[in-house]
Amino acid sequence: MNTTSMKTFIKVTEIWIPDKERTQLEFGSGLYGELIDFKADSEQLTFAYNEGLPGKAWAEGHPIVLTEFEHSYFKRTIAAKSAGLTCGIAIPIFSGDFLMAVVVFFCGDDEDHAGAIEVWDKSLVSENNLKVMNGYYGTLKHFETISKQLSIPKGHGLAGQAWESGMPILVEDIGQATTFIRTQDAQLAGITVGISIPVYNNPNEPYILAFLSAKATPIAKRIQIWIPNKEGTQLICQQGYSKYNNDLAKIFETLPVTKGIGALGRVWLTGMPIITGNHETDYNPELDNLSKMLAIPVIEQGRLKAIVSFLF
Amino acid sequence: MNRLNVLLIEDDPNITLLEDELKEIGFICLKTPYDSTFLTLVKDIAPNLIIFNLDIPSNALFADLQTLSHQLALPIIMFTRDNHVGTINQAIKADVCALIVGDVEHKRLNSIINVAIARFKHQQALKTALEEACAKLEDRKVTDRAKAILIKTQNFTEDEAYHTLRKLAMDRKITLGEMAKNVIAMSDLFK
Repeated sequence: MNTTSMKTFIKVTEIWIPDKERTQLEFGSGLYGELIDFKADSEQLTFAYNEGLPGKAWAEGHPIVLTEFEHSYFKRTIAAKSAGLTCGIAIPIFSGDFLMAVVVFFCGDDEDHAGAIEVWDKSLVSENNLKVMNGYYGTLKHFETISKQLSIPKGHGLAGQAWESGMPILVEDIGQATTFIRTQDAQLAGITVGISIPVYNNPNEPYILAFLSAKATPIAKRIQIWIPNKEGTQLICQQGYSKYNNDLAKIFETLPVTKGIGALGRVWLTGMPIITGNHETDYNPELDNLSKMLAIPVIEQGRLKAIVSFLF
Repeated sequence: MNRLNVLLIEDDPNITLLEDELKEIGFICLKTPYDSTFLTLVKDIAPNLIIFNLDIPSNALFADLQTLSHQLALPIIMFTRDNHVGTINQAIKADVCALIVGDVEHKRLNSIINVAIARFKHQQALKTALEEACAKLEDRKVTDRAKAILIKTQNFTEDEAYHTLRKLAMDRKITLGEMAKNVIAMSDLFK
């Protein structure tokens, strides 16, 4: 096992939260790795409704994938450019009409990074079909062309299943999955894992956020889906996946989560996404541990349906 | 032994007595006055031994020696006329192996150097042993913490916690201490 040099597709993760008056977004927390200057430029900022990438996602009410920073509403173009960041993804988390937080991801411009992040919305042509609204595909240009032409019926494919069930769907070995519509194209593109997450603004009409992960540059070192048990008393880890077998993570995935206790318990209690773990850039990577976590709640009509955690 | 490189730091460039003696004994000797480039010079020429012959060693010199002891430990001999207690304490703090106050006794030079080198080796062996002991103690502390986490979260006995930790470490081909750090880090994520 050699995961010490494992690069992840996502370079930066941020959480923006409403300020006291709940009229602006301020910096909550973030994972920037070695991009210290970008961090310094970011954490002082605030975004009004409809301002910058986080504010835009708030106003639009759905996830946004922004692949061109220049001449756009994006506010950190120079800083992002010098940090080698080329794409931003903003995910608003609503509880009913009200915004809880905006999670922002940034991806880089390395030549060897592959993967895709897509936002699916109801097709204008057919209400029972989904189309890619916007997406970032890194170096997977052919896969991008195919995906943007595709229309997925409810209940089919990674996005269609999440749409129908209203739950996050994690598919391992997507290149072999019979339920995934773009199996062959994914195989060609080197995509191995996919996770789709419903993002609710209006009840019953989620936007679907899909992360497609390639072997060389996975979206995260490990992804977990936690769901409430039948009684609604505890969260149980329904699924955990990483490129390499991780017995240590599995041990912690056997632990049920109680509301308010621990990081995931706090996400359940507050409905707020959370970043935990070691933020230091000089952390020893040779330990090959999962040292950082982003946990995002999936909320529908004010109730927690699931928590998706990305471990880095 | 006599072909060692010596960096000789002396105040007066015109007095070559000590330099000549060192060369006569058989050392390769580079002589220079002390200045702010001292650390860079040491790193560049990587001597086996540094000898100072200074009337009054400066605070800046001792600060440099303390830095040097962390970066590139070397046997250091200091001849000086300064017999103040403060100077002696600073020399000890800076890991000077031999401090000789007064005139340089040339007939004793070779034995002073031999004793200083032997003391340096002994000091280094003690330092290494201390570092190893500290690391072992730290490993034991983190291992105990990791075991406690496994006992609390998994209802393991102490034995089960230890064996789980050991198996995880063996599977990953890392030490028990490193694995324990992983367990603590993972536990911190979910705290």
